[in-house]
Amino acid sequence: MERSHHPKPSTQIQDRVHFIFNNLSEANVADRGADIKGLVEPEFYPWLAQYIVVKRVSKEANFHLLYMDFVDAVELPSFTALVLQETYNMIRIILNELASAGSSSSSERASLKNLGAWLGLQTLGRNKPILHRDLALKDLVIIAFEQGPRSLLYVIPFVTKVLEGSRSGRIFRPPNPWLMAILGILKELHLMQKIKLNLQFEITLLCKKFELTIDDIEPSNILRPLSVPRPMSQAM
Amino acid sequence: EINLMESLTLKGVSQLYAYVEERQKLQCLNTLFAKLEINQSIIFCNSVQRVELLAKKITELGYSCFYIHSRMQQSHRNRVFHDFRRGACRNLVCSDLFTRGIDIQAVNVVINFDFPKTAETYLHRVGRAGRFGHLGLAINLITHEDRFNLYKIEQELGTTIRSIPKVIDRALYVAGAAPEPEEDLDEQ
Repeated sequence: MERSHHPKPSTQIQDRVHFIFNNLSEANVADRGADIKGLVEPEFYPWLAQYIVVKRVSKEANFHLLYMDFVDAVELPSFTALVLQETYNMIRIILNELASAGSSSSSERASLKNLGAWLGLQTLGRNKPILHRDLALKDLVIIAFEQGPRSLLYVIPFVTKVLEGSRSGRIFRPPNPWLMAILGILKELHLMQKIKLNLQFEITLLCKKFELTIDDIEPSNILRPLSVPRPMSQAM
Repeated sequence: EINLMESLTLKGVSQLYAYVEERQKLQCLNTLFAKLEINQSIIFCNSVQRVELLAKKITELGYSCFYIHSRMQQSHRNRVFHDFRRGACRNLVCSDLFTRGIDIQAVNVVINFDFPKTAETYLHRVGRAGRFGHLGLAINLITHEDRFNLYKIEQELGTTIRSIPKVIDRALYVAGAAPEPEEDLDEQ
């Protein structure tokens, strides 16, 4: 998966965009969002969306709500869609990088978590689904489980961050069946002996954020059959 | 009294200087804000008057900034600091009133608009409680008069303050930025 190279505006315009983002705040976000349309030509919107996602959202979790307000203030549905698309792209890139790298870097895991939180806010938090073709969360957990502890280490914190976003919406919070199904897998994982303590903690914490306890959740029965060693005859 | 200097460290902080004339300082600041990725920054001046003057000037230029200095009432200072900490504004112009270093995670850039006179002041401005291993960038605007102080402070703290390069690697101060993607993204 390659990071796409969008056409970029002149250095001068880029510098002005950087300046705007370095000085974006609650007080000026509505104006800046409106201003940007006069500053950046529509052909460079993909570049702008990528800048917001890659350079700002993935590093500056403390300003997620501010950057959401900015995207809203631009008031262009096509731009909002571009930002979401860049978010999915970046998530896929990092997941692939982490899957192929021998050792996982903590900075990439942090970026992934931040992007997960952002994705959750943009989608579930606004009553919009995460489509299977964009990101298959349940499959991601199952595959990570099959691959082992190293994969779970970055997948679980990512998934919990995404799901957390549903709290600000109405549709995807408990008892939404889509959500409960993923929580069920997480519960099943939680019950396993060999699962790392910090991952168990992430899962417990997520339940708490939904004002549930881990005991309220019905575990699935998806992972256990996978963890039983298959008989030799099957492999031959 | 506890020796507070011991709890502060320059580890993880990339320290740079730009050699400027007094009248070029503001232009230099503008350039930094057009080139860097700043989560939140603290900009230090050496006097209360200069804090107010700079804050006024850069607010006019469209910066998001608050200011704080030692002649403000404690309750006002608390309010400004609290609002800055929660991210209500991006940049804080201030004089030397932090006695225990800056402990705000989001601050990834510290700018010495005026270079401090002593190593202790420098350390309190730039140093951080090293526990979290945060990355940071400290940029010092150095005038002709500051040049000996720069050397002295480097010696006393046993540290190196490098001349600012044309392009600053964002991996040095943006938490979680990989060193390579910069080229990836910016060179077509």
